[in-house]
Amino acid sequence: MIKITNLEKFYRTEEVETIALNKLSMHVDTGEFVAIMGPSGCGKSTLLNILGMLDDPDEGSYVFNGIEVAQFNERKRADLRKHNIGFVFQSFNLIDELTVFENVELPLIYTGVSAAERVKRVEEVLDKMQIMHRRNHYPQQLSGGQQQRVAIARAVVNKPKLILADEPTGNLDSSNGNDVMELLTDLNEQGTTIIMVTHSEHDARYSHRIIRLLDGQTVMENIMV
Amino acid sequence: MFKNYIKTAYRSLYKNKGFTAINILGLALGLATCLLIVFYVVDELSYDRYNTKADRIYRVNEDLKLGDNQVQYAVAMPPLAKTLKAEYPYVEDATRIKPAGTTHVKKGNSNIVENKVGFVDASIFNVFTLPMISGDPKTALLEPNTVVITESTAKKYFNTTAALGKTIIFNDKENFKVTGVIKDVPKNSHFNFDFFVSLESFPDSRSNEWLRSNYNTYVLLKDAKDHTKLAASFPAFLQKFSGAQMQSELGMNIAQFEKGGSYFRLNLTALTDIHLNSNLTGELGPNSTKEYVYIFSAIAIFILLIACVNFMNLSTARSSNRAREVGVRKVLGSSRKNLIFQFLAESILITFIATIIAVIAASVLLPAFNQISGKDIILTTQSLKWLVPALLLIVLVIGSLAGSYPAFFLSAFQPIAVLKGKLSAGFKGGGLRSFLVVFQFFVSILLIVGTLVIYNQLNFIQTKNLGYNRNQVLIVQNSGELNQQAGVFKQELAQLPGVKSATMTGFLPTNGWRNTRIYFKDASYDQKKSLFPQSWEVDADYIPTMDMKLAAGRNFSKEMQTDSSAIIINEAAAKFLGFADPVGKTVYQSLGGDRKGNTPNVKECHIVGVVKDFHFNSLRQKIEPIVLTYGQNAGALAIRVGSADIQSLMSQIKAKWNSLSPGVQINYSFMDQDFDLSYRSEQRIGKIFVIFTSLAIIIACLGLFGLAAYAAEQRTKEIGIRKVLGANVTWIVTMLSKDFIKLVCIAIVTASPIAWFVMNKWLQDFAYRITIQWWVIAAAAVGSLLIAFITISFQSVKAAIANPVNSLRSE
Repeated sequence: MIKITNLEKFYRTEEVETIALNKLSMHVDTGEFVAIMGPSGCGKSTLLNILGMLDDPDEGSYVFNGIEVAQFNERKRADLRKHNIGFVFQSFNLIDELTVFENVELPLIYTGVSAAERVKRVEEVLDKMQIMHRRNHYPQQLSGGQQQRVAIARAVVNKPKLILADEPTGNLDSSNGNDVMELLTDLNEQGTTIIMVTHSEHDARYSHRIIRLLDGQTVMENIMV
Repeated sequence: MFKNYIKTAYRSLYKNKGFTAINILGLALGLATCLLIVFYVVDELSYDRYNTKADRIYRVNEDLKLGDNQVQYAVAMPPLAKTLKAEYPYVEDATRIKPAGTTHVKKGNSNIVENKVGFVDASIFNVFTLPMISGDPKTALLEPNTVVITESTAKKYFNTTAALGKTIIFNDKENFKVTGVIKDVPKNSHFNFDFFVSLESFPDSRSNEWLRSNYNTYVLLKDAKDHTKLAASFPAFLQKFSGAQMQSELGMNIAQFEKGGSYFRLNLTALTDIHLNSNLTGELGPNSTKEYVYIFSAIAIFILLIACVNFMNLSTARSSNRAREVGVRKVLGSSRKNLIFQFLAESILITFIATIIAVIAASVLLPAFNQISGKDIILTTQSLKWLVPALLLIVLVIGSLAGSYPAFFLSAFQPIAVLKGKLSAGFKGGGLRSFLVVFQFFVSILLIVGTLVIYNQLNFIQTKNLGYNRNQVLIVQNSGELNQQAGVFKQELAQLPGVKSATMTGFLPTNGWRNTRIYFKDASYDQKKSLFPQSWEVDADYIPTMDMKLAAGRNFSKEMQTDSSAIIINEAAAKFLGFADPVGKTVYQSLGGDRKGNTPNVKECHIVGVVKDFHFNSLRQKIEPIVLTYGQNAGALAIRVGSADIQSLMSQIKAKWNSLSPGVQINYSFMDQDFDLSYRSEQRIGKIFVIFTSLAIIIACLGLFGLAAYAAEQRTKEIGIRKVLGANVTWIVTMLSKDFIKLVCIAIVTASPIAWFVMNKWLQDFAYRITIQWWVIAAAAVGSLLIAFITISFQSVKAAIANPVNSLRSE
């Protein structure tokens, strides 16, 4: 599903040029659950942003589902993104002014799903995530674990092929964290490809494969059984 | 402690350079504009107040109603001034002014055209405050053939102010001795002469006629309160002095005259009311109206309000960014009072800086403003006396108002809540802010509609069919100089290849002579049926040269011997007289003077034609009846030119002139320019309006720009999330603009009817006016929406195309 070759990304400030990704190559197959680990500043988040087409690489190739997207412009990337990729963030990134239902509904609005269809699909996914009873609440009224469930519900409501999770348990206690990991595992078992950035060895154990980064390069791959 | 406040204030301002700049510049721009308008208004209100006796000076006006004709004159009868002074002990002095019109003054071998020449009584220097540099103000103008000139005129003609005893030659032949040099007449005077010529020089000044008005007459009262007493005594006064003349001339006494519905009255206008409250026939110059003073004052207040609203909006919006600072300060022991003081001081400081910039900007822009407004405003230490305290007050008021919201609102925060970031205060709950934005656009729309209507009306005036064609007409203003040769000059010019036709008369529709006469409709000489029209002496070439059209009958003809008693009337006169077919009818012109036998002294006139109505007054007034009589009048020469090569034609005309009149310069103008000149005040007002409106809109947009930037900044995270979830740029821009556009729409809905109402009222002043078209309102609405949208777009597009990674990374 994903194949990247010799990917490079630099960050320039006035004085220094930082290499975030240094000729990085990797691939992820459909249906895989991959964890990306590494110390702070190793390029994890940069890699995830590029994989999620939120950012573009400076050099190298990124083939998504057989399409070369490295040179895509913002509009094309956005189009590909909204139909194929769901995001889960450490800090949930729910919109405070919208209710649970409205937050989950957003991606469907942007992909042009009809109102009736939206209600059906949002309810379906809220049911699955067991937060139906909170549908009219605002994010601030929920616990961290509940918020992350909403975020995951929002990530999957469009039935994406790929979910990118950036430290999904980072802001949660271990019990809530485990629930989230179980959810992701379930999704993966139903066929969704998952790439997750994490600091937690515990969480990484839910994945099939761990890619370890250091200074923008792959240093090790562990295959989990 | 204080130093620490200044430091945080400075750094907070510096960190948000963009906001700070918008904030300070917006306020400064608003204040500067407001200052200019204040200067303008103060100048308008200051007219004639330079006179130390201003409160005791009154002008005597004459109201005349004859049948259905009503005229209000700013001039009165020749003997009025001296009689009032002799009759009433509380009249300390009285004086008369009569403008001389265009005069030629000899300098070396050439004659210079001077328009600011006035014939005045010697007492003028006692009534008005016109300080004399040399000469004795008491005696300067007692003798005939004396003249008092202004300082700059003395320099112009004699290169020195020591001009006493020198001779000034008017119109190439009349010698006048300079008996005084006065300081230049202040610009804010309702009369403005460079030459004050003694009225004693002219026999007409000693005329004892009470039924003729041609002198602007002023009285100086011993006590200002006596004006009611004086006004009350006018009826008896007129009875006593003009009764006999009326009896002999009109064959009736005043009581009989008034029984017929006519009247003949005197009244007073306070000197300080003349500039803004008086627009009578025979004013010494174009006066202003107090409406414009009101309108501009309102605009100044609006602009100041808009600027203040911006300032407050941006200050409060930005203040939520400082919630964390407030929290930390509170945790570290700052009292609420300290915080309130800190925010207020900061706000007042910013206002102070803005005010200084505004003062500098206003003084830099003053010359340009003077040019546009036709004023001559200068800042003196005198004006600083009221300006400085006023500005300090403004600084305090605006500073405290703008600072009060952050001061009281933020200082009340619970520190824990703020520090935990629980407070998403700021943009939400901006009900007041929304109201203020609505208000700003409300005002902007009023101004836009106002400007459009004024411009449409001006355009209407410019393009209206006036009943004559003012284009391609050259007017030789001083053809009277040629005396007997004037006719020859006209004949010679008519022969020139580029000249279509030429007519000789001082009575021109644009500017020139005016003369009213009395006509009776029938031989009963019933004054109720009398007509009181303009009566113009013209030749047979007048109607074709002016390109006027006849509605009926014929033009005057050189061949018709009987045309000396022929008249042509306009449609308004025909309507007034009520003749179905006026051609061939007879009316009777009152010749005045003594009655002969039993019949009044009248002349029979035969109507030979009816000319279509043409405008000879401002379009503010309805077309009045007019009677054209056939005769020779050398007042001016109007030439319709067909040639495109005006240059060579002009040199031919000048050559002809010089051959006939060596020594006197030809004084000419173009009719279309003369016409434009008479609407200069409207054009100026229009221009000023456009400028102020643009400024108001710019200031409002600055505020909107700042608010949109702030809103976008507040919602950066939300925008990021939405983009990650698939929202495109259009979505984000729409989302960010929607809220503001809604506010502008509210402003449009509320402002439109008010704008329509107010401007309709303004138009009522014009007898000939446009109706406000729906598209004017629509244009203002669409325009303001567009301006608002473009302003917001700068910010929303920027926010929308930003990479969401950046906004989400900070988490």
